[in-house]
Amino acid sequence: MILSRRWRLSHLSLYRRLMIWLLCPLALLVAIMLLQAWLASREAADRAFDRLLDAASLSIAEQVRWQQSRLWMDLPPSALEMLSTDAEERVFYALYDAQGHFVTGNRSLPSLPAVANDQMSYGNVTSRGMSLRLGVRRSRLEGWDRSDRFEVRVAQTREGRWALANQLFMASFVNIVIIAGLAMVVVLLSARFALEPLTRLRRAIRERNPRTLAPLELALPRELAELRQALNELLARMRRVRANQERFIGDASHQLRTPLAGLSARAELALRQTDPAVWREGLTTMHGTATKTARLAGQLLSLTRLNNPEATPARHPVDLAALAQRCVREAFSRHHRRGVDLGVEIPDRPVMVSATEWQLEEALNNLIENAALYGAGRITVQVSDAPARLTVVDDGPGIPESQRLLVLRPFHRGQEAGDGSGLGLAIVDSIARAHDIRLNLQPATPDHPERPGLCIALTFPADAR
Amino acid sequence: MTAMTRIRRGAIDLTRVAVFWVRITVGLAALALVTTAQARTLHVAAETASSQPLTIYGVLDPPQVRPLLADFHQRNPDIEIEYHNLETLALHARVLQERNAPRADVLMSPAMPWQYELANEGLSEPLDSPAAAAWPSWARWRQELFGFTFEPIVMVYRRDLAQRMAPPTSHAELLNLLQQHADVLKHRVVTYDPRRSGAGYTYAIEDARISARYWDLVEALGQSHSALETTTGAMLEGLSDGRYWIGYNLIGSYVQDYVATHPELVMVVPQDYALVLQRLVMMSREAPHPAAARRFIDYLLSAPAQRLLASHTTLGAVHPGIDGAGTAADLRARLGDAIRPVQIGPGLLATLDTLKRQTLLEQWQQAFDNHSTFTDGPMEPSAPFSPTPVPTASLPEASQP
Repeated sequence: MILSRRWRLSHLSLYRRLMIWLLCPLALLVAIMLLQAWLASREAADRAFDRLLDAASLSIAEQVRWQQSRLWMDLPPSALEMLSTDAEERVFYALYDAQGHFVTGNRSLPSLPAVANDQMSYGNVTSRGMSLRLGVRRSRLEGWDRSDRFEVRVAQTREGRWALANQLFMASFVNIVIIAGLAMVVVLLSARFALEPLTRLRRAIRERNPRTLAPLELALPRELAELRQALNELLARMRRVRANQERFIGDASHQLRTPLAGLSARAELALRQTDPAVWREGLTTMHGTATKTARLAGQLLSLTRLNNPEATPARHPVDLAALAQRCVREAFSRHHRRGVDLGVEIPDRPVMVSATEWQLEEALNNLIENAALYGAGRITVQVSDAPARLTVVDDGPGIPESQRLLVLRPFHRGQEAGDGSGLGLAIVDSIARAHDIRLNLQPATPDHPERPGLCIALTFPADAR
Repeated sequence: MTAMTRIRRGAIDLTRVAVFWVRITVGLAALALVTTAQARTLHVAAETASSQPLTIYGVLDPPQVRPLLADFHQRNPDIEIEYHNLETLALHARVLQERNAPRADVLMSPAMPWQYELANEGLSEPLDSPAAAAWPSWARWRQELFGFTFEPIVMVYRRDLAQRMAPPTSHAELLNLLQQHADVLKHRVVTYDPRRSGAGYTYAIEDARISARYWDLVEALGQSHSALETTTGAMLEGLSDGRYWIGYNLIGSYVQDYVATHPELVMVVPQDYALVLQRLVMMSREAPHPAAARRFIDYLLSAPAQRLLASHTTLGAVHPGIDGAGTAADLRARLGDAIRPVQIGPGLLATLDTLKRQTLLEQWQQAFDNHSTFTDGPMEPSAPFSPTPVPTASLPEASQP
């Protein structure tokens, strides 16, 4: 299993890929060269030995004459000895007249088709189980009176040819193997050299301090320089994220310290008095501050949870209408007591989106709370279909155009006077980002000079249902 | 050897190989005829319970082959040997007849062209033993055909010839002698008839290849009305009887034997060049008993067998590691480059070519009959071919057994 995984193309190491793509063609090339060398050796051996057939047949043909009213030949022994060679081949010869009748010889040999412009033709034949190389010479008598045609056929066994062909081939084989070996070494070395910067990069990354986010400074070839740049960009983003986190933690501790310090001071002030009425007043103030601080801590916690990139909570189909109705119902009595008119407008059929339900609830609660905190007297939650959209409209003081992006950052309050923690809209923004929801802020009634109100619309992506 | 045996044996072979009658008339029977009346088949039984048979076709007379077989048997008691002594052409014909289902495992024959033809036809099996590989290359063809004896072709003269003239020690001297003493030597010289004897034909063709002056010699032989015989045995008988004084081109191994019991004859290995005949042994392709055949040929090529050939027979040893009397090394040391072993190669095929034979025999006949133009004329016969004098003092002692 592991092996098959290792050899799957996408998992193949670069080095292996290079090896395969360089060595396979090399092997193919070597195979072709060897085949070619083998054919060339055989041809060379045949050419060399065919000359012997040529010479021997010529030497025999020269002895052919007309005598006693027939073809006559005084067979020169040297012609046969010439054919025998160092390999001590078996030798056959035959003389045939123009009609193809056997005149003399030590074995009847077949004829071969004539080759244009050549007296000799060669061919491989099998005669009585022997593999022979046959040479046929077509000639004619050269005399004053007769010019009969005749054929001298000579044949030899092929051991010598095979031996020579093998010898030639072995020489080429050794050469080719040496060249292939050198080429392989070169390929291996060049692949190593080519991949060396990659090794350097890997080593540089591995040797880094895990806490440092400083950019990578390393001289690399162009292809890897791009990778290094991408890596450095990632590091820069991480540096920004970390700076944000550090600021957030600073802000959060600052935000928590202030009410805690207030609590401490208030308690101290109350303790100096002996009047229980003052104590009661102090406790009431302290209760308000503690409630506010608890809410702040809760919001900090949810923001942290939302910003945790590791946790991507599962999404389920959520009915926006039901959700809006439930939230409004839960918040209604609380706001009604403070004199806030909270209402909901939903279509009569479910508006389904794919989302994490508790996050949407959180966002909606924050929006309602936020509107109430900043002095709205009338808050309407609207749900509309196609596209799925959740809108919270209030008649509060609104947010000036220049502030609209800033209010989304944590600890930024729209108004210094407000009672909010400055985290509400930041939480909504985080949730919106996590769900790819478009967050839109605009005045509800832009014409109103003092209370233009605020309309915050969460538009779900078309494919979120 | 009785005349009866000779006739009977010839008749059997004629009927058996009637198809090859043309060749039989050439009469390579020469070699076989030197034998005394013997059984044609030698049988050596194995001494062990599990024996493997070995069939040999040979042209090697029982007195020569018996010590070999006995020694081989002593070394390989588990092999049951059946040795068929045949005549050369009969052997050739029988092997061709049985080419698809050979009965013989080993073939031994002194008829080099015929034996070579069989090997060239692919009827031999290569032998890949160390002994075969180490065998001198001039005495073998491939790893298939091995020359295991070394028998020079010699001249023989009667001892009393020396009182009349200097006996010949070389071809040139023989030619000189014939030209100068044509009248004295008339009908006194004997040689093979190449027209009727295969051996004689083989020597004629080899002589002609070595020197063009061979034709002068043939002319001179014709001038002196030389007698023509078909066997070495007949020539030796004639020489012993006193009918002939000089014999030319006799097979050394037979002469050596014969001269040992006939002190009136002297054997001379020619000093200018001496043809050397080799008996060729080969293993049959698809031999019925290849293992035994390999062991036998390995034995023939081994030092002990060769030493035996040198000491107990007149066949002569080839093995390069053996020297002393009766070996190739010894003959080479005495005669040097004059030793001309018949080359084991395709040149031998030319010998068998029908047209070639006719051509050569016609030429031979012409040269032999040409005497009328010279003998009767007043012209000095040796004028155009004055022979170079060869010192008689260097006559090799060892060649006179």
